[in-house]
Amino acid sequence: MDTNTSFTTKHGYPGLLVVIEGTDGAGKSTQIRKLKSWIENTHCYGVIISGWKTSELFANAINEAKDHNLLNATTFSLLYASDFTDRLENRIIPALKAGFVVLLDRYTYTAFARDVVRGLEPEWVQTLYNFAPEPDVVFYLDMPVDALLKRIIAKTGLDYFESGRDIGLSTDFYESFKMYQSKILSEYEIMKQKYNFITIDGTMSIDAVQAKIRGHLSDMFFNKKTPE
Amino acid sequence: MRFSKNHGLPGTLICVEGIDGSGKSTQLAILRDWLISCEQDVIFTEWNSSALISQTTKKAKKKNLLSPRTFSLLHAVDFADRLEQVIVPALKAGFIVLADRYVYTAFARDVSRGVDPQWVRSMYGFAIKPDLAVYFKVPVEVSLERICSNRQPSFYEAGMDLKLNTDPYVSYKIFQSRVIKEYDKMQEEYHLSTIEATDSIHDQQVEFRAIVKEILATKGINIDGY
Repeated sequence: MDTNTSFTTKHGYPGLLVVIEGTDGAGKSTQIRKLKSWIENTHCYGVIISGWKTSELFANAINEAKDHNLLNATTFSLLYASDFTDRLENRIIPALKAGFVVLLDRYTYTAFARDVVRGLEPEWVQTLYNFAPEPDVVFYLDMPVDALLKRIIAKTGLDYFESGRDIGLSTDFYESFKMYQSKILSEYEIMKQKYNFITIDGTMSIDAVQAKIRGHLSDMFFNKKTPE
Repeated sequence: MRFSKNHGLPGTLICVEGIDGSGKSTQLAILRDWLISCEQDVIFTEWNSSALISQTTKKAKKKNLLSPRTFSLLHAVDFADRLEQVIVPALKAGFIVLADRYVYTAFARDVSRGVDPQWVRSMYGFAIKPDLAVYFKVPVEVSLERICSNRQPSFYEAGMDLKLNTDPYVSYKIFQSRVIKEYDKMQEEYHLSTIEATDSIHDQQVEFRAIVKEILATKGINIDGY
């Protein structure tokens, strides 16, 4: 019987910080929901999920500002950083300290990609988030822009901000979405190397993607430490 | 980043700094009336006043929900919003922009709350460098006397979130003394002009106007008389 339940982690807390990254419509939240019950049932760890823009304090402020199209790039960036910090301090770090597995739908990489595409200086965004603990593993659901477009159109339709309409790339919704998401994807391409993301083909079936992620996590649960 | 260089816009950005009760708002109000009477185009903007985030700040403060870092970020959101919507357009249009508190307030308060000085300075790197920043310097006892003659200091004014002391008056003194120390350091770092805020309102105003006239003259605005 394995009695050692805490992990050797990158951030030093006993819990495990797992991040799923990818553009809108890549299937992140579906994967996270499935992972949660699998980890709870199979590995007996407490799990918390925290999604992007879900802090009690800031989510409403962001939505309201978006409704009125009131945001310039810097304000947009700082509001998301506020939301992130609030969740980090009140949910994520306490859970890590308590030895939970924390599953995060998006992390600082999302902020970085979006802010840089909106014209902010990369170094500025990086410093803004420099207090965030390093995740133990980042899974990146990789989707080509054409596949993404189909998924989003079928599911929710093209949202104003997801299409980057606020930065005026094109007045055509479809074109704007394609241009915006392509820019975001190329930021992810750079980060994928730089931060050793584990890239998973997001066009595979939900179950196939889930199996891949579970494979990697199983190794981590077995070894009680995170991949190099 | 913008904050490290001169803005090169036609307008003039003047800000006042100092702890609560330093009298800076009074001084700025008198200056504003004077500039308007001299037929200048003036716009006034105040710390923590953008409609975008004020409800959130109010709610968070009421529930004492803010950590030093979220406190810092909230004020940066407010500032970024006012900067892009009010300050920059007004400077482009050639206004004299009067700001009651500017980024130095954040540097002083946030660092006094334990936030990393480099981090907060970097965050405000997008700010426009003011043409003139005047620091109204006042001892903490005088500030306390002015602020608390008819009420207790508020929770965040007193830095009660830092749990320095359970007595708000004692906490106010400890916290605001830290803020003063940060301002004092910045006098040199950012070349703040200092006015002794214990002098009479009239004397301070005379001094304030003299500095302002000098700055406006460099912008080609010459004001006669007082």
